[in-house]
Amino acid sequence: MKKIIVLLTAVLLIALVWFFALSLNVPKISNVKTQEGKGLPSGFELLKLNGEKVDETELNKGMVLLNVWASWCITCLVEHPFLNELSDTYNIDVIGINYKDKLGDAIKYLDKNGDPYIYSIHDYDGKYALKLGVTGAPETFLLIDGKIVKHRVGEVNQQVWDEEFSDFF
Amino acid sequence: MKNLATFFSIFFLSFFISSDQLYPGLDEQQLKRLNYLSDNIRCPKCSYGNISSSNAPISKDLKEEIAQMILANKTNDEIYDTMSERYGDYILLNDVEKRNPLIFLAPLIALIISISVVTIYTIKKSK
Repeated sequence: MKKIIVLLTAVLLIALVWFFALSLNVPKISNVKTQEGKGLPSGFELLKLNGEKVDETELNKGMVLLNVWASWCITCLVEHPFLNELSDTYNIDVIGINYKDKLGDAIKYLDKNGDPYIYSIHDYDGKYALKLGVTGAPETFLLIDGKIVKHRVGEVNQQVWDEEFSDFF
Repeated sequence: MKNLATFFSIFFLSFFISSDQLYPGLDEQQLKRLNYLSDNIRCPKCSYGNISSSNAPISKDLKEEIAQMILANKTNDEIYDTMSERYGDYILLNDVEKRNPLIFLAPLIALIISISVVTIYTIKKSK
């Protein structure tokens, strides 16, 4: 009987160690899925901050960097100087999605902090961003011919750019 | 005095505000479904918690979207599919059991084995 108990304990211990060793290799699942591989939502009439209609074919052609921002978003303010640098130094075209923001506040924000965007889409109720899979601001999408190849949730800075985006440019 | 009157007016009026007034198109049964689905969908912006317990703007937007889907006669499975397609399985709180039944079975198996071993050992020793 003693032998059986020792054997059983040993088997249980080995099983336990094996189970933990296996668990170490299981990829982390507790993250929201990014939107990579998808396209932009359709069926929306998008307007720029100046009231002009957005030509959606422009968004689905070539390389487009979409940045979700808002005047009330503190992290966007932290991110803003780097976006200015991207547009000035690297000469990269950035299109903004102004998320759940008042038009006046958004324009004031860009006047004060500089405007790195070739234009910004005014998504006042956040419905376009919701369908795009945005969970808050800031978020950045890199699209190639209408397909999202990179989706960053959170701030983009020099380090993030070098690690996740620069290879595409 | 005027401020006090305003305060009490707002206080008493708040008793008449309920969730059905936030989603005017839904009947009682549909509201129950909305609450059930909101309890089982995780807030994608928060570390823990479902969208019914979260005040994040994204949770409010998702609840509204679910309400619209209920009005469009989508089934619960179709709504869960839409959410998991956009945010991943992580968003589904009722899915853990289906994905990894071992989480629930392992402690039970361990308990049964332990009780059996102790019982057999005790019986054998007492003889």
